[in-house]
Amino acid sequence: MQQDRLSDWLVKHDLVHRSLGFDCRGIETLQIKTEDWDSIAVISYVYGYNYLRSQCAYDVAPSGFLASVYHLTRIQYGIAKPEEVCIKVFAPRNNPRIPSVFWIWRSADFQERESYDMLGISYDNHPRLKRILMPESWIGWPLRKDYITPNFYEIQDAH
Amino acid sequence: MATTATFLAPTGFCIHGWSAKRKVGRGRRPCSIKSQQQQQQLEQERDQQPTQSQASIPPPQQQQPLQEKARVQQQQQPSAQPMAKSKNMSREYGGQWLSCCTRHVRIYAAYIDPVTHAFDQTQMDKLTLILDPSDEFVWTPGACQQVYAYFQELVDHYEGAPLSEYTLRLIGSDLEHYIRKLLYDGEIKYNMNARVLNFSMGHPRVKFNSSQIQNV
Repeated sequence: MQQDRLSDWLVKHDLVHRSLGFDCRGIETLQIKTEDWDSIAVISYVYGYNYLRSQCAYDVAPSGFLASVYHLTRIQYGIAKPEEVCIKVFAPRNNPRIPSVFWIWRSADFQERESYDMLGISYDNHPRLKRILMPESWIGWPLRKDYITPNFYEIQDAH
Repeated sequence: MATTATFLAPTGFCIHGWSAKRKVGRGRRPCSIKSQQQQQQLEQERDQQPTQSQASIPPPQQQQPLQEKARVQQQQQPSAQPMAKSKNMSREYGGQWLSCCTRHVRIYAAYIDPVTHAFDQTQMDKLTLILDPSDEFVWTPGACQQVYAYFQELVDHYEGAPLSEYTLRLIGSDLEHYIRKLLYDGEIKYNMNARVLNFSMGHPRVKFNSSQIQNV
Protein backbone atom coordinates (compact mmCIF):
# COMPACT_ATOMS: atom_id res chain seq x y z
CA MET A 1 0.00 0.00 0.00
CA GLN A 2 1.24 3.44 -0.82
CA GLN A 3 1.65 5.85 1.96
CA ASP A 4 0.50 9.39 1.71
CA ARG A 5 3.98 10.25 0.61
CA LEU A 6 3.35 12.95 -1.86
CA SER A 7 0.72 14.43 0.36
CA ASP A 8 3.11 14.60 3.30
CA TRP A 9 5.80 16.03 1.14
CA LEU A 10 3.52 18.74 -0.11
CA VAL A 11 2.38 19.55 3.38
CA LYS A 12 5.98 19.73 4.45
CA HIS A 13 6.59 22.24 1.73
CA ASP A 14 3.47 24.06 2.56
CA LEU A 15 1.65 23.71 -0.70
CA VAL A 16 -2.06 23.87 -0.78
CA HIS A 17 -3.81 20.74 -1.81
CA ARG A 18 -6.55 18.52 -0.61
CA SER A 19 -6.25 14.83 -0.29
CA LEU A 20 -9.08 12.81 -1.68
CA GLY A 21 -7.98 9.58 -0.13
CA PHE A 22 -7.13 6.40 -1.94
CA ASP A 23 -8.94 4.82 -4.81
CA CYS A 24 -9.58 1.13 -5.24
CA ARG A 25 -6.11 0.28 -6.41
CA GLY A 26 -4.45 2.08 -3.56
CA ILE A 27 -3.38 5.15 -5.48
CA GLU A 28 -3.53 8.34 -3.55
CA THR A 29 -5.63 11.05 -5.04
CA LEU A 30 -5.13 14.72 -4.56
CA GLN A 31 -7.14 17.70 -5.53
CA ILE A 32 -5.28 20.75 -6.70
CA LYS A 33 -6.66 24.17 -7.40
CA THR A 34 -6.47 25.51 -10.92
CA GLU A 35 -4.23 28.40 -10.09
CA ASP A 36 -1.75 26.20 -8.24
CA TRP A 37 -1.66 23.51 -10.85
CA ASP A 38 1.08 25.11 -12.91
CA SER A 39 3.57 25.14 -10.10
CA ILE A 40 2.58 21.80 -8.63
CA ALA A 41 2.97 20.12 -12.00
CA VAL A 42 6.53 21.32 -12.20
CA ILE A 43 7.10 20.34 -8.62
CA SER A 44 5.89 16.80 -9.18
CA TYR A 45 8.13 16.50 -12.17
CA VAL A 46 11.01 17.60 -10.09
CA TYR A 47 9.96 15.28 -7.29
CA GLY A 48 10.40 12.44 -9.70
CA TYR A 49 7.17 11.75 -11.52
CA ASN A 50 8.50 11.66 -15.00
CA TYR A 51 5.64 9.91 -16.75
CA LEU A 52 2.12 11.15 -17.22
CA ARG A 53 0.37 7.85 -17.55
CA SER A 54 -2.91 9.32 -18.65
CA GLN A 55 -4.87 12.49 -18.61
CA CYS A 56 -8.59 12.30 -18.71
CA ALA A 57 -11.49 14.52 -17.88
CA TYR A 58 -15.04 14.09 -16.79
CA ASP A 59 -18.08 16.09 -15.96
CA VAL A 60 -18.79 16.01 -12.26
CA ALA A 61 -22.40 17.13 -12.14
CA PRO A 62 -24.81 18.79 -14.55
CA SER A 63 -24.20 22.27 -13.26
CA GLY A 64 -21.09 21.53 -11.26
CA PHE A 65 -17.46 21.40 -12.12
CA LEU A 66 -15.47 19.79 -14.88
CA ALA A 67 -12.63 17.64 -13.61
CA SER A 68 -9.35 17.05 -15.32
CA VAL A 69 -7.50 14.04 -13.98
CA TYR A 70 -3.81 13.29 -14.24
CA HIS A 71 -2.19 9.97 -13.43
CA LEU A 72 1.51 10.37 -12.78
CA THR A 73 4.06 7.69 -12.13
CA ARG A 74 7.72 7.44 -11.89
CA ILE A 75 9.40 5.29 -14.50
CA GLN A 76 12.68 3.93 -13.28
CA TYR A 77 14.89 1.09 -14.13
CA GLY A 78 14.53 -1.86 -11.85
CA ILE A 79 11.49 -0.83 -9.89
CA ALA A 80 8.68 -3.33 -9.91
CA LYS A 81 5.96 -1.20 -8.34
CA PRO A 82 6.46 2.43 -9.22
CA GLU A 83 4.94 5.17 -7.16
CA GLU A 84 1.78 6.59 -8.61
CA VAL A 85 -0.40 9.49 -7.82
CA CYS A 86 -3.63 10.76 -9.24
CA ILE A 87 -4.30 14.46 -9.33
CA LYS A 88 -7.64 16.06 -10.04
CA VAL A 89 -8.09 19.65 -11.02
CA PHE A 90 -11.61 21.00 -10.91
CA ALA A 91 -12.53 23.77 -13.29
CA PRO A 92 -15.69 25.89 -13.09
CA ARG A 93 -18.17 25.26 -15.79
CA ASN A 94 -18.62 28.79 -17.05
CA ASN A 95 -14.95 29.37 -17.74
CA PRO A 96 -13.07 26.07 -17.79
CA ARG A 97 -9.42 26.97 -18.22
CA ILE A 98 -6.61 24.87 -16.87
CA PRO A 99 -2.89 25.34 -17.46
CA SER A 100 -1.56 22.79 -19.88
CA VAL A 101 1.16 20.38 -18.86
CA PHE A 102 2.25 19.79 -22.43
CA TRP A 103 5.60 21.39 -21.87
CA ILE A 104 6.33 19.10 -18.93
CA TRP A 105 4.96 15.78 -20.14
CA ARG A 106 4.59 15.43 -23.90
CA SER A 107 1.99 12.70 -23.69
CA ALA A 108 -0.54 15.30 -22.68
CA ASP A 109 -0.72 16.57 -26.23
CA PHE A 110 -3.50 14.47 -27.70
CA GLN A 111 -5.07 13.73 -24.37
CA GLU A 112 -5.68 17.36 -23.56
CA ARG A 113 -7.03 17.86 -27.05
CA GLU A 114 -9.48 15.06 -26.42
CA SER A 115 -10.57 16.60 -23.11
CA TYR A 116 -11.02 19.89 -24.90
CA ASP A 117 -13.00 18.29 -27.68
CA MET A 118 -15.31 16.33 -25.46
CA LEU A 119 -15.82 18.64 -22.51
CA GLY A 120 -14.68 22.06 -23.54
CA ILE A 121 -11.90 22.47 -20.99
CA SER A 122 -9.43 24.78 -22.64
CA TYR A 123 -5.81 24.31 -21.74
CA ASP A 124 -3.68 27.43 -21.64
CA ASN A 125 -0.37 27.21 -23.44
CA HIS A 126 -1.23 24.12 -25.38
CA PRO A 127 0.36 24.67 -28.79
CA ARG A 128 -2.35 23.16 -30.95
CA LEU A 129 -5.58 22.90 -29.07
CA LYS A 130 -8.27 21.94 -31.53
CA ARG A 131 -10.80 19.22 -31.98
CA ILE A 132 -9.39 15.78 -32.42
CA LEU A 133 -12.29 13.34 -32.45
CA MET A 134 -15.27 15.34 -33.67
CA PRO A 135 -15.28 17.11 -37.02
CA GLU A 136 -13.71 20.51 -36.77
CA SER A 137 -16.85 22.45 -37.27
CA TRP A 138 -18.78 20.68 -34.53
CA ILE A 139 -20.66 22.84 -32.09
CA GLY A 140 -21.04 21.70 -28.52
CA TRP A 141 -19.17 19.50 -26.08
CA PRO A 142 -20.39 15.95 -26.50
CA LEU A 143 -19.47 14.37 -23.18
CA ARG A 144 -20.91 17.01 -20.98
CA LYS A 145 -23.86 15.84 -19.00
CA ASP A 146 -26.09 18.55 -20.41
CA TYR A 147 -25.25 17.94 -24.05
CA ILE A 148 -28.13 17.15 -26.34
CA THR A 149 -27.34 15.32 -29.57
CA PRO A 150 -28.76 17.21 -32.52
CA ASN A 151 -31.31 15.28 -34.47
CA PHE A 152 -29.09 14.20 -37.33
CA TYR A 153 -30.80 11.78 -39.64
CA GLU A 154 -27.82 9.56 -40.19
CA ILE A 155 -27.17 9.04 -36.55
CA GLN A 156 -30.62 7.99 -35.57
CA ASP A 157 -32.54 6.67 -38.47
CA ALA A 158 -30.61 5.67 -41.52
CA HIS A 159 -30.52 2.00 -42.31
CA MET B 1 -25.48 8.25 -65.33
CA ALA B 2 -27.62 9.12 -62.43
CA THR B 3 -30.77 11.02 -63.06
CA THR B 4 -30.40 13.84 -60.68
CA ALA B 5 -32.21 17.01 -59.99
CA THR B 6 -30.18 19.94 -58.87
CA PHE B 7 -31.44 22.99 -57.13
CA LEU B 8 -29.59 26.15 -56.35
CA ALA B 9 -30.42 28.29 -53.42
CA PRO B 10 -28.91 31.67 -52.75
CA THR B 11 -27.97 31.92 -49.17
CA GLY B 12 -27.19 34.54 -46.62
CA PHE B 13 -24.68 32.47 -44.70
CA CYS B 14 -21.75 34.37 -43.38
CA ILE B 15 -18.49 32.60 -43.95
CA HIS B 16 -17.01 33.78 -40.71
CA GLY B 17 -15.43 30.89 -38.99
CA TRP B 18 -15.27 28.60 -41.99
CA SER B 19 -11.55 28.25 -41.90
CA ALA B 20 -8.85 29.80 -39.89
CA LYS B 21 -6.83 30.48 -43.00
CA ARG B 22 -9.33 32.71 -44.75
CA LYS B 23 -10.22 36.15 -43.66
CA VAL B 24 -13.61 36.81 -42.25
CA GLY B 25 -15.86 37.58 -45.12
CA ARG B 26 -19.43 38.18 -45.74
CA GLY B 27 -20.31 38.54 -49.32
CA ARG B 28 -22.87 37.38 -51.74
CA ARG B 29 -20.95 38.20 -54.87
CA PRO B 30 -18.28 35.71 -55.87
CA CYS B 31 -15.69 38.34 -56.57
CA SER B 32 -15.74 39.66 -53.06
CA ILE B 33 -15.12 36.22 -51.67
CA LYS B 34 -12.18 35.82 -54.01
CA SER B 35 -10.47 38.94 -52.86
CA GLN B 36 -10.58 37.78 -49.31
CA GLN B 37 -8.91 34.44 -49.79
CA GLN B 38 -5.31 35.09 -49.08
CA GLN B 39 -3.89 31.68 -49.60
CA GLN B 40 -5.06 30.89 -53.06
CA GLN B 41 -4.01 32.42 -56.29
CA LEU B 42 -7.20 32.42 -58.23
CA GLU B 43 -7.47 33.24 -61.82
CA GLN B 44 -8.89 36.58 -62.45
CA GLU B 45 -11.12 35.61 -65.28
CA ARG B 46 -14.71 35.68 -64.33
CA ASP B 47 -17.60 33.73 -65.67
CA GLN B 48 -19.49 35.33 -68.43
CA GLN B 49 -22.75 36.93 -67.66
CA PRO B 50 -25.35 34.21 -67.32
CA THR B 51 -27.70 33.79 -70.21
CA GLN B 52 -30.95 32.01 -70.40
CA SER B 53 -29.82 29.49 -72.96
CA GLN B 54 -30.72 25.89 -72.59
CA ALA B 55 -28.29 23.01 -72.73
CA SER B 56 -27.56 21.70 -76.16
CA ILE B 57 -27.08 18.07 -75.23
CA PRO B 58 -30.36 16.22 -75.65
CA PRO B 59 -30.87 14.26 -72.48
CA PRO B 60 -31.97 10.62 -72.63
CA GLN B 61 -35.63 9.85 -72.30
CA GLN B 62 -36.04 9.19 -68.64
CA GLN B 63 -33.88 12.08 -67.63
CA GLN B 64 -35.95 14.61 -69.41
CA PRO B 65 -38.48 15.56 -66.75
CA LEU B 66 -35.84 16.14 -64.13
CA GLN B 67 -33.49 18.05 -66.36
CA GLU B 68 -36.20 20.36 -67.47
CA LYS B 69 -37.22 20.88 -63.97
CA ALA B 70 -33.70 21.84 -63.04
CA ARG B 71 -33.61 24.34 -65.86
CA VAL B 72 -36.94 25.75 -64.84
CA GLN B 73 -35.63 26.16 -61.37
CA GLN B 74 -32.67 28.07 -62.53
CA GLN B 75 -34.75 30.60 -64.27
CA GLN B 76 -36.30 31.48 -61.00
CA GLN B 77 -33.10 31.75 -59.01
CA PRO B 78 -29.45 32.65 -59.71
CA SER B 79 -29.57 31.81 -63.34
CA ALA B 80 -27.63 29.23 -65.28
CA GLN B 81 -23.98 29.84 -65.87
CA PRO B 82 -23.11 28.00 -69.01
CA MET B 83 -19.52 29.15 -68.90
CA ALA B 84 -18.88 27.91 -65.39
CA LYS B 85 -15.82 25.80 -64.92
CA SER B 86 -14.65 23.57 -62.14
CA LYS B 87 -12.65 25.65 -59.76
CA ASN B 88 -10.74 24.95 -56.60
CA MET B 89 -10.98 21.23 -56.96
CA SER B 90 -7.32 20.53 -57.22
CA ARG B 91 -4.76 19.47 -54.76
CA GLU B 92 -3.42 22.80 -53.63
CA TYR B 93 -6.85 23.71 -52.39
CA GLY B 94 -6.98 20.49 -50.45
CA GLY B 95 -9.56 19.01 -52.79
CA GLN B 96 -12.08 19.60 -50.06
CA TRP B 97 -15.49 21.06 -50.21
CA LEU B 98 -18.19 21.93 -47.76
CA SER B 99 -20.82 19.32 -48.15
CA CYS B 100 -23.31 17.13 -46.48
CA CYS B 101 -24.03 13.83 -48.17
CA THR B 102 -26.56 11.28 -47.12
CA ARG B 103 -28.31 8.78 -49.25
CA HIS B 104 -31.00 11.02 -50.67
CA VAL B 105 -29.74 14.50 -50.07
CA ARG B 106 -26.46 15.97 -51.16
CA ILE B 107 -25.78 19.58 -50.39
CA TYR B 108 -22.66 21.32 -51.60
CA ALA B 109 -21.58 24.87 -50.91
CA ALA B 110 -20.63 25.44 -54.50
CA TYR B 111 -22.16 25.97 -57.88
CA ILE B 112 -22.64 22.77 -59.79
CA ASP B 113 -23.76 23.12 -63.33
CA PRO B 114 -26.59 20.67 -63.97
CA VAL B 115 -25.47 19.89 -67.49
CA THR B 116 -21.73 19.89 -67.51
CA HIS B 117 -21.32 19.02 -63.81
CA ALA B 118 -18.70 21.69 -63.45
CA PHE B 119 -18.00 22.12 -59.78
CA ASP B 120 -17.18 25.69 -59.00
CA GLN B 121 -16.13 25.97 -55.41
CA THR B 122 -15.37 29.65 -55.40
CA GLN B 123 -19.03 30.49 -55.45
CA MET B 124 -19.59 29.71 -51.85
CA ASP B 125 -22.62 31.88 -51.54
CA LYS B 126 -24.72 29.24 -53.25
CA LEU B 127 -25.84 25.89 -52.03
CA THR B 128 -26.54 23.14 -54.50
CA LEU B 129 -28.91 20.35 -53.66
CA ILE B 130 -28.76 17.06 -55.50
CA LEU B 131 -31.83 15.06 -54.71
CA ASP B 132 -31.83 11.26 -54.60
CA PRO B 133 -29.02 10.44 -56.98
CA SER B 134 -29.52 6.74 -56.46
CA ASP B 135 -33.23 6.93 -57.34
CA GLU B 136 -34.57 5.12 -54.37
CA PHE B 137 -37.92 6.81 -54.77
CA VAL B 138 -40.16 7.65 -57.66
CA TRP B 139 -40.27 11.40 -57.79
CA THR B 140 -43.19 13.31 -59.18
CA PRO B 141 -42.68 16.94 -60.14
CA GLY B 142 -44.95 18.06 -57.33
CA ALA B 143 -42.95 16.19 -54.72
CA CYS B 144 -39.71 17.61 -56.07
CA GLN B 145 -41.11 21.09 -55.86
CA GLN B 146 -42.14 20.51 -52.29
CA VAL B 147 -38.64 19.41 -51.36
CA TYR B 148 -37.11 22.39 -53.10
CA ALA B 149 -39.47 24.77 -51.38
CA TYR B 150 -38.66 23.23 -48.03
CA PHE B 151 -34.98 23.48 -48.80
CA GLN B 152 -35.34 27.17 -49.54
CA GLU B 153 -37.27 27.62 -46.34
CA LEU B 154 -34.56 25.86 -44.34
CA VAL B 155 -31.84 27.94 -45.92
CA ASP B 156 -33.72 31.08 -45.03
CA HIS B 157 -34.25 29.80 -41.54
CA TYR B 158 -30.54 29.12 -41.05
CA GLU B 159 -29.51 32.46 -42.43
CA GLY B 160 -26.77 34.03 -40.38
CA ALA B 161 -25.38 30.75 -39.15
CA PRO B 162 -21.71 30.05 -39.83
CA LEU B 163 -21.16 28.26 -43.12
CA SER B 164 -19.77 24.98 -41.87
CA GLU B 165 -20.36 21.31 -42.41
CA TYR B 166 -22.26 21.21 -39.14
CA THR B 167 -24.90 23.60 -40.44
CA LEU B 168 -25.09 21.79 -43.75
CA ARG B 169 -25.62 18.54 -41.90
CA LEU B 170 -28.44 20.06 -39.90
CA ILE B 171 -30.08 21.19 -43.12
CA GLY B 172 -29.51 17.81 -44.75
CA SER B 173 -30.99 15.99 -41.78
CA ASP B 174 -34.07 18.18 -41.77
CA LEU B 175 -34.52 17.46 -45.46
CA GLU B 176 -34.22 13.73 -44.90
CA HIS B 177 -36.85 13.90 -42.19
CA TYR B 178 -39.05 15.80 -44.60
CA ILE B 179 -38.54 13.21 -47.33
CA ARG B 180 -39.49 10.52 -44.86
CA LYS B 181 -42.64 12.42 -44.02
CA LEU B 182 -43.49 12.62 -47.71
CA LEU B 183 -42.97 8.91 -47.99
CA TYR B 184 -45.24 8.16 -45.09
CA ASP B 185 -47.89 10.45 -46.48
CA GLY B 186 -47.78 8.65 -49.78
CA GLU B 187 -46.54 11.47 -51.97
CA ILE B 188 -43.51 9.53 -53.09
CA LYS B 189 -43.01 5.82 -53.15
CA TYR B 190 -40.18 3.37 -53.42
CA ASN B 191 -38.83 2.73 -56.85
CA MET B 192 -39.11 -1.00 -57.39
CA ASN B 193 -36.70 -0.89 -60.31
CA ALA B 194 -33.97 0.66 -58.28
CA ARG B 195 -30.59 -0.92 -58.46
CA VAL B 196 -30.50 -1.36 -54.70
CA LEU B 197 -33.82 -2.00 -53.05
CA ASN B 198 -33.39 -1.88 -49.34
CA PHE B 199 -36.24 0.34 -48.14
CA SER B 200 -33.98 2.59 -46.20
CA MET B 201 -36.81 4.63 -44.77
CA GLY B 202 -38.79 1.71 -43.44
CA HIS B 203 -40.58 -1.21 -44.98
CA PRO B 204 -43.80 -0.53 -46.82
CA ARG B 205 -46.74 -0.82 -44.49
CA VAL B 206 -50.46 -1.01 -44.92
CA LYS B 207 -52.67 1.90 -43.95
CA PHE B 208 -49.89 3.95 -42.49
CA ASN B 209 -49.32 7.69 -42.48
CA SER B 210 -47.12 10.08 -40.65
CA SER B 211 -49.55 10.83 -37.88
CA GLN B 212 -48.92 7.41 -36.43
CA ILE B 213 -45.33 7.95 -35.42
CA GLN B 214 -44.01 10.43 -32.96
CA ASN B 215 -40.81 11.80 -34.30
CA VAL B 216 -41.63 12.93 -37.79
